[in-house]
Amino acid sequence: MRIKLMIPCLVEDCLPEIGLAVVSVLERLGCGVGHPKGQTCCGQMAFKTGDAAGARAQALRSLDVFAGPEPVVCPSGSCAKMLRTYPQLFEPGTPDHARALALAGRVVEFCEFVLTLPGAPDFGARLTARAALHRSCQLDGSDAPQRLLAAVHGLTLLEPERPERCCGFGGLFSLQFPAVSESLVEDKARELLALNPDILVSAEPSCLMNISGYLSRSGSPVRTLHAAQLLDLALNGALTGGVSWS
Amino acid sequence: MVLTSTFTPRNFREQSEKACHDATLRAVLDHATRYFMGKRGVALEAFADRDTHFARARAARLTALSRLPDLLEQLEQRATAAGTKVHWAHDAAQAREIVAGIARGCGAKVVVKGKSMVTEEIALNPALEADGIEVWETDLGEFIVQLAEEPPSHIIAPCIHKSRADVAALFREKLGLAGLSGQEDLEDSASIPELTLLARRALREKFLAADLGVTGVNIAVAETGSVILVENEGNIRMSTTCPPVHVAIMSLEKVAASLEDAADILRVLPRSATGQKMSSYVSVLTGPRRSGELDGARETHLVILDNGRSEILADAVLREALLCFRCGACLNSCPVYQTIGGHAYGSVYSGPIGTLLSSLLLPAKDTRDLPFGCTLCGACKKTCPLGIDHPKLMLRLRERVCAGSPGLASAAHTFLALHPLAYRLVMGAARAVDPHLNLLPRLPGLPSGLASFVDSRQPPELKKPFTAQLRNARKKRGGA
Repeated sequence: MRIKLMIPCLVEDCLPEIGLAVVSVLERLGCGVGHPKGQTCCGQMAFKTGDAAGARAQALRSLDVFAGPEPVVCPSGSCAKMLRTYPQLFEPGTPDHARALALAGRVVEFCEFVLTLPGAPDFGARLTARAALHRSCQLDGSDAPQRLLAAVHGLTLLEPERPERCCGFGGLFSLQFPAVSESLVEDKARELLALNPDILVSAEPSCLMNISGYLSRSGSPVRTLHAAQLLDLALNGALTGGVSWS
Repeated sequence: MVLTSTFTPRNFREQSEKACHDATLRAVLDHATRYFMGKRGVALEAFADRDTHFARARAARLTALSRLPDLLEQLEQRATAAGTKVHWAHDAAQAREIVAGIARGCGAKVVVKGKSMVTEEIALNPALEADGIEVWETDLGEFIVQLAEEPPSHIIAPCIHKSRADVAALFREKLGLAGLSGQEDLEDSASIPELTLLARRALREKFLAADLGVTGVNIAVAETGSVILVENEGNIRMSTTCPPVHVAIMSLEKVAASLEDAADILRVLPRSATGQKMSSYVSVLTGPRRSGELDGARETHLVILDNGRSEILADAVLREALLCFRCGACLNSCPVYQTIGGHAYGSVYSGPIGTLLSSLLLPAKDTRDLPFGCTLCGACKKTCPLGIDHPKLMLRLRERVCAGSPGLASAAHTFLALHPLAYRLVMGAARAVDPHLNLLPRLPGLPSGLASFVDSRQPPELKKPFTAQLRNARKKRGGA
């Protein structure tokens, strides 16, 4: 199966190893992975700060970048959701609205997509570790990460006390309300660390950045991985992209 | 809206940043919101055909909004026929004047009030007190915040921010009360039943002395002209039956077409609010005491308040906020509310629904920050039994604040996002100069909170981009 990969801007420049793990896993599971050129931002930043015109302009670009019949797979719940929000930005009945609807129907979050592949959810992946899962509110209650990771042999998948509670990032929110944001990530880190995990895993890169940034400032040794990285490690015994696993 | 404290929505950001540093407040809020959510969870678990009942309640509310002018006219007609005097108030000032007029008319010296957010919205108490009237809040939580000279911090739990010890200290100071034994001073460790009994003693006197009772309205039934009041303490029923005159104040969206619609709402409201199948008291009041009846007010008034709501109704997206029947569950489920409490919002209504209502009811210039104090996590939407999509409305409000002119940083970002080459150049240059983003907090045009963010969280590092790494890897593989 051929797919188009949508890489969040955060992954492109700050967490490229997540993108490489996504490619590794998808190729290993038999997908042809295309990575359309010219990707920048999905427009989420503009949309969430109330700049509808800016969001619309960026959406129009994405409609061009991701044109075609293939599924668009994205390793971020919030970016996938933004792409599915495009129809809201255009007048119903216009050609752009129709294109936005068509794209929205093709967008799939990484874990959900992997669960549709032949053999799912048990791909024979194996990793002996205790992994604390942060579900991320940005996945809108999807249980795909749980279902996917629960099938990894040897993995003890743990969920914190309030699994769906926000980690406090919220994009611009974390900069406009930094102390509130910090209080929330403090709560989240406490509840996750209480599980005594080896790994913290999530399917949302922005939450990972927020939580791992906090953990690293507070000197915690817990390793944070995207679900794709955990799967990559469990399928291949090593992490793709020059990142070492100790 | 006028507040008895110095909090204002204009300072929402500063107030919320300060509130989350108050460890005691956070602990009290954490305990209380978990308690509410826990009780609610148990009640909803046991609620057979829950989704059907939620849908019926939503339908009743949608009916009310879509037929509002007709229903309000019918309500006026039926209430008048039942002997209630109906008043229309365009805004808060007019509503205050109406109630003050009624108070003057009956020569009221003491007024008792049932818990009502709408009377907070119109700042009724100060207006009555300015006329020399003694005003007493009789809901226990409201009574506590009144003694503390604070506004309520939660729609249904006004003193949610206070601990038991806070209340004991407050009673000792303001009521000059000794403990129940009458011997020693009331101790901080006084039990809740003991504190409640002390408040009850103080309030009994007020009920008996009151010339006028003022309450809000949970549901007004157009079909019968009745006012429905939901409570657990019995103080609202006493406020409507002890004094000879009762004034009920409703915001105009609180109407329901029929008793059946009201029942659909009542099946959901207490469960969602306090996890009860039904509240301890539900009063259905239709007009004043009739001849031969033993209780009830001799004179009843209903004030129907607009205060900006007609304008909200005109907005196809934002009108959804008027579906709310004030169960308060979105406050309890909101991680931001759980952390900062209600006062930080600086207006009468707090939390997710409060952000929406305050932004719509108060001047735009005072509420610019409110819709941004939200991570868009959607816990409120998931919790709301009426299906209000708070995050969607929040985004709509942000659009109104932005009004087509995004800030410098935002505009620059959009420009770069639209020009991939420039985007790559800027990111490449940033990586060359400052890969660990040490200089980021000092860049002009970026939010001032960046420095504190970086203080508590290691910022990400700029690495060799994914696109280049993938290209290299594929080249290597192709060549191998």
